[in-house]
Amino acid sequence: MKGLTWRHFDFWLFGVVVFLSIFGIAMIRSAIAGSIGLVDQVNRQMIWVGIGLVVILLTAVIDYHYWASLIRPMYLITFLLLVFIFVAGQARFGAARWLEAGSILIQPSELGKIVIILALADYFARNQDKPHDLRWIARSLLLTGGIAIWVFLQPNLSTTIVIMVLWFSMLWISGLKLKYLLLFILLAIVVAGLAYPLLQPYQKARIANFLFPDPNARHGDTYNVDQALITIGSGGWFGMGYGHGSQVQLRFLKVRHTDFIFSAMAEEFGFVGTVFIVGLLIFVILRCLRAGRLASDTFGGLIAYGFAVLIFFQTAVNIGVNLSLIPVTGLTLPFVSYGGSSLLSLVLGIGMVESVILRHKPLDF
Amino acid sequence: MNFPDTEKNPLRNWRFLIIYVAIAVVFGFFLFRLFSLQIINSGDLVAQAIENRTDVINIAAPRGTITDRNGYVLARNVPSYNLVITPANLPGTLPNTINGALPGPIQDIYRKLSDLVGIPVSNGMMNEDTVKNFTPCATDLGITQIVYIADTNWPYQATRIKCNIDEKTALIIQEKSADWPGVGVEVDPVRDYPTGWLTSEIIGFLGPIPAGQEDAYTAKKLVSNRDKVGFAGVEATLQDVLSGTNGEQDVEKDAAGQVMQDIGPLTSPVPGLNVQLTIDTRLQSAAKAAIIHDLDFWNANSIEPISTKAVVIALNPKTGEILALASYPTYENNRMARIIPQTYYEQLQSDPDKPMFDYAISGEFPPGSVYKMATALGILNEGVVTPDYQIEDPGKITLLQKFYEGDPGIPQDYVCWKPEGHGMVDYLHGIAFSCDVYFYKVGGGYGTEVPKGLGILRADEYAKALGYGKPTGIELPGEASGLVPTPDWKRLTIGENWATGDTYIATIGQGYVLATPLQVLESIATIANDGKYMQPTLVKDYQNSEGNTVQSFQPKQLWDITKDPMITEYDANDQPVYDLDANGNYQQEVDANGKPMFDAYGEPIYKTKKKTVAPWVINLAKEGMRMVVTDGTAEVPFDGMAIQSAGKTGTAEYCDDIARTKNLCSPGNWPAHAWYVGYAPYDNPEIAVVAFIYNGKEGSLVAAPIVRKVMEAYFELKKIDTSQGTTSETP
Repeated sequence: MKGLTWRHFDFWLFGVVVFLSIFGIAMIRSAIAGSIGLVDQVNRQMIWVGIGLVVILLTAVIDYHYWASLIRPMYLITFLLLVFIFVAGQARFGAARWLEAGSILIQPSELGKIVIILALADYFARNQDKPHDLRWIARSLLLTGGIAIWVFLQPNLSTTIVIMVLWFSMLWISGLKLKYLLLFILLAIVVAGLAYPLLQPYQKARIANFLFPDPNARHGDTYNVDQALITIGSGGWFGMGYGHGSQVQLRFLKVRHTDFIFSAMAEEFGFVGTVFIVGLLIFVILRCLRAGRLASDTFGGLIAYGFAVLIFFQTAVNIGVNLSLIPVTGLTLPFVSYGGSSLLSLVLGIGMVESVILRHKPLDF
Repeated sequence: MNFPDTEKNPLRNWRFLIIYVAIAVVFGFFLFRLFSLQIINSGDLVAQAIENRTDVINIAAPRGTITDRNGYVLARNVPSYNLVITPANLPGTLPNTINGALPGPIQDIYRKLSDLVGIPVSNGMMNEDTVKNFTPCATDLGITQIVYIADTNWPYQATRIKCNIDEKTALIIQEKSADWPGVGVEVDPVRDYPTGWLTSEIIGFLGPIPAGQEDAYTAKKLVSNRDKVGFAGVEATLQDVLSGTNGEQDVEKDAAGQVMQDIGPLTSPVPGLNVQLTIDTRLQSAAKAAIIHDLDFWNANSIEPISTKAVVIALNPKTGEILALASYPTYENNRMARIIPQTYYEQLQSDPDKPMFDYAISGEFPPGSVYKMATALGILNEGVVTPDYQIEDPGKITLLQKFYEGDPGIPQDYVCWKPEGHGMVDYLHGIAFSCDVYFYKVGGGYGTEVPKGLGILRADEYAKALGYGKPTGIELPGEASGLVPTPDWKRLTIGENWATGDTYIATIGQGYVLATPLQVLESIATIANDGKYMQPTLVKDYQNSEGNTVQSFQPKQLWDITKDPMITEYDANDQPVYDLDANGNYQQEVDANGKPMFDAYGEPIYKTKKKTVAPWVINLAKEGMRMVVTDGTAEVPFDGMAIQSAGKTGTAEYCDDIARTKNLCSPGNWPAHAWYVGYAPYDNPEIAVVAFIYNGKEGSLVAAPIVRKVMEAYFELKKIDTSQGTTSETP
């Protein structure tokens, strides 16, 4: 810790994350639209954001290299939690994803994302100079699969996909050979074909609904997506104003404070406001990638890169769902959507990125 | 710790660039999509958002009442109380599943309501079908199940738990509703008919909006499954007058259907108009009592019951106001007040007497001898015979049945109803005795005695002038037009030439001639009224909800046969005399809308010369009908009646499905309907009455006494009204 200087702390990144989180609280307050059952959630999110800011600073202070030594126990704990959840987890919305610790619900799969980023960053950094052959790929896949399989069995398809995307992006940046990439694509098509029958009915229904929407199902299964489009469309250039979106305030838009908070924002702040917020999210992603490029070692670089990919993918999928471009997944909008577990894993990531950028070797001395 | 810090960072190569490209592509596409949704295509989506949140609340307008001419109520609205629950307002949160535990206060409310109204707290299986088929008021589900369905689908709407609870229970629930949030009593107007089956053939009943007419009624702002519409009687024909106009209020609602605020001004409901009918309920009651009493008498004194169907109509010949209209049997319209009960409806439908069929206006029967009055006008007006000319009735004549010009003919016997004959008969006695042979001879011609009869074409002209052959336009649904047969009609419909015999029997109202009892009454009322045909009507006036008359119906004279030329002239060869224009060209006839008219063959109809009926002809016809009562066929039944009347009997042979199955359709064996139509006082008619008894066998014996009873009841009522000074306007 000696000689640690805050000169390299990325205040822009921190500032924008703080802004997005506070904007998120404001948006959630509007989106609950007077639902008595949801009033609590604004206060909870404020507490989470407060905790989150402390977590960012604390994680930034800790040298990210320490995490390397904690990867094995962390991986093991996550693995055990996921197995426990699979065996004895409580049913919640048809899927067991939560662990109840006191009054706080912990989602081990969120933890799984962080562990996977750290574990893969460590693996690829250590094996940087080994031949990038199938064995190199297979070992990384094994490492990923150990976590991913339990998340998949929860069943939680979207987080499984996130983890697999993280793995692939790490593989890609670490030098995946193009011939193997082609092999993968072929394999992916075959696996997708074989795996579809194994999906849960609700997962199949979501995919089928997206691919072949029933034109008569106004109040049926496409209701949420249709309402999201109507909500976005009502926004126009400058929006209907904070707290004045008719689709949001009269609750035609469902899951307004989590999955569809993007639509709520689009209605109340319009095209201009939405582009501004998306711009800030892109800024966060680019700052994380910058940290990755400037990192003084591969491990740090891959950590920053991994979190950038995580934020990018979640943002892209969430907005894609809201714009009705991909099937409904349940991934939230980073920093803005309601959700403690999700926010906590994101701020941990931001903290680590700050830790990386704090300790990079600037070229200017 | 000492970390290696000079490792080669892999993140500074072309692979990294691909990531930037991916970010740019993804967000670029999102930007394009967002722009297209929010800016380019926003119009449609904004419209959908507006449709989402706006709704129209329809406020029911009260239906007008129906009263008789003296203000006696025939149809009104009475309150009916329904127990309702608004799920969202119940104390506590309802469980998400049907088997979930109910909060204590709600359980308590359910238990107490169950004790009060007798609906189980929980009953019935819940599945997709029961939910889909759920209809408030017609379900055997328990309170828990009904509220669960309501909470899932329309939590902010008051849902009916039990309909038509008694007033006392309703008051108890209303008192407790302060302690029972979400529970209430809804007051729903239900139609009530104090006179029930006595006037059901006139008033009719209400029913739900039929699926096929939903669009038409919705356009008039009526609401399916809530508002009811007339199904029969004046409830149906005066639907638009009685129903008024429902009010509307645009509102903003949330996703659960809860109304947030009003948008724009309220369109207040306009109550339906109250309708006052021309009917006198007391006379209606007298008419029905006469029917029931006399039918009972004849059926009890016959080997087998002779008849179960009859009609009596009474009207004022000078104004056309209908004072009584009884079609027997009929139905109890109060049983249709809330819903149309399936068993009762099926029972009515399968009854061979067809109680829902209004025989007075929808039944078409051979009019028989009452139709002779049309022929009687014709023979004098056309100069076939003079009034004093005597014709021999030997009881039976033989005529040649010819189907075409030059047909040698088949001899056929035509008999008078009196086998020994009436001897030498002049015009007045021909009517008084209803002498068939007299009318055969003057109608179709007979040797040298009557060289040229009236003929079917001319006879038809006089029947049509008295209103036969087309609906009268009375304010009741389903009126039949009757039939005045012509040679063209027979060729087109039956595919046979008109035979000479057809003319003979048509002139006495048999054969193909058909008429409704109302048409028969109108024909005699027209003669009684010196040739003025008055529009028959049931409606006296319309009053608004404050009781002020907004529209009063004045007697409407449709035509006067002594002044309006209506009788087409025919030349010696039975060809119409055309009305040529100044250049000697035919002029095509135009209908009421100014459109050129064509006949059944598609040939243009040309204007013909037309003439009127001479007043002296009508006076002689009236004299003839007076003689019917004083010296003729109705002498016995009207013997000793204080007020002078005139009339005409009819005994119309028929053959229908019922008679055919009894094997009665053969000469000498024909069954017959009984008719009598008359008016009184003879010198200044106030009332004209027709009685028709299906299969009544003998007009003078069965129908005439009923007419007398109704006439006497009328004058008795008039006396009472005059002595009490209550009579508003005696017809």
